[in-house]
Amino acid sequence: MVSTSPQPLDPSTLPDHDNVPDNPYAYCVRLNGPLFMQTGRMIAYYPVGGGTIRFEPLTATSMTAMVASHFSSPLYSRDWVVANGQGHVILGDRGYDINSYDLDDGNLTVRAANLLAFDAGLELKESIIPGFLTLLGTGKFLASSSGPVIFVEPPVRVDPEALVGWADCPAPSQHFDAGWMGHFLGAARGAVFGTRSGEERQYDFTGAGTVLLQSSERMLEDPHVVRRLEGEVNQLGTGQLRHLAGVIQSRLSQNG
Amino acid sequence: MGFTKVTPKVVLAEVRPGQEVLARRGAMLASSGEIAFSPVVGGPGGGAYGGGIAASLARGMQGEAVPLMVAEGNGSVHYGFRGHHVTVIDLDGSHPMSVEADRLLAHDANMSSSVVFLGQQGGLRGAVRGAVTGQGLFTTQLSGRGSVAVLSHGGTFALRVGGSQQIVVDPQAYVAHVGNLRLDVATALSWRDAVGRGSGEGVQLKVSGEGTVYVQASEEKL
Repeated sequence: MVSTSPQPLDPSTLPDHDNVPDNPYAYCVRLNGPLFMQTGRMIAYYPVGGGTIRFEPLTATSMTAMVASHFSSPLYSRDWVVANGQGHVILGDRGYDINSYDLDDGNLTVRAANLLAFDAGLELKESIIPGFLTLLGTGKFLASSSGPVIFVEPPVRVDPEALVGWADCPAPSQHFDAGWMGHFLGAARGAVFGTRSGEERQYDFTGAGTVLLQSSERMLEDPHVVRRLEGEVNQLGTGQLRHLAGVIQSRLSQNG
Repeated sequence: MGFTKVTPKVVLAEVRPGQEVLARRGAMLASSGEIAFSPVVGGPGGGAYGGGIAASLARGMQGEAVPLMVAEGNGSVHYGFRGHHVTVIDLDGSHPMSVEADRLLAHDANMSSSVVFLGQQGGLRGAVRGAVTGQGLFTTQLSGRGSVAVLSHGGTFALRVGGSQQIVVDPQAYVAHVGNLRLDVATALSWRDAVGRGSGEGVQLKVSGEGTVYVQASEEKL
């Protein structure tokens, strides 16, 4: 019988920049230069010859100028670190497929939760679409997807959960199903909360470019949604706040 | 003997007289042939019932947290558990394997299994490791020749440790290890920042010695 037992890997057999052999869900990177990584995605690391690999939070890094010029998102800065040193780092993300992407003087926008790491040749900015990050420049980055990524070309309408990202095309607009819109316009305005099934809202892509899809997204509770809302609450007046409190109350009683 | 992979999440075990298979309760998906299942209950409080091989197996299992079923007879059984990935690891018997009881799906019944109090392996250090990694204070040790099927998120791969090649592993991703390995818990500020999705994750497992450590491709516990 052929042994199915996984063969042990070590720094001499680990890839320098590829998926771990026979495992699309883990990815190995050999560090050369600083690497930006999202927290909670590292599984293991082999420092070279008894050395160390340092992981510095962006808020307490020794490379402030480099970080500031490559990471232009205060909202996400708490969730990222810079890895520096010599050795192999292995990353994984919820058992999702992990792929490496090359950008050549390009731009690509990707769901923030699915972006694992990017090298210092790229610059990160927040996308206009909440929950997405845009990478600009020339370099490599790692992103995860639930199942293999499917590439499609616009014009296309995409379920928000299935969207991994998009490249080279204009930012999408939101599209609402015509039947649902008719129903919405006919219904009492106040009844709108809780009437969404999730299917009626789609992202509408037009123009030339590529859209990246995954089979589906198991939605994590995204901490950034709360942080963003908190920031926007400051702009509200007392009446609006009271209204919002009522909305939250009714949501809580529905879920509880 | 041994397990055949059917899908990444299901294995098939051939069961013959003298080649029984032990698996966690609830892991049997399908069986064909003449297979009898009986529970194995170990532990100080529980006695064995079911008779036959179950009784003799139960003697070796003290304090086992996960209830096991033994499959005996002549036929084949499909095993899987809650859609987790299954990895089959063959052991040549030269070194025992330590695996978290939660992650053990099935193994050949002719391997002897014992539950080890982590405090025995590494004194206080071991006990602390169990407490901080959430493994609990007991780990299952399997010795002898045979095959073991372990559960994981996203599949398990093996990393060799030896010589100057020391490795640092996220405790949540640790699955099992084989060989003369020392697992030390260390807290590092940088590690906490790098892995810490929540609080209490600021620990790392420093693995040194000679052997193999098995790691899953995800930070999620089972």
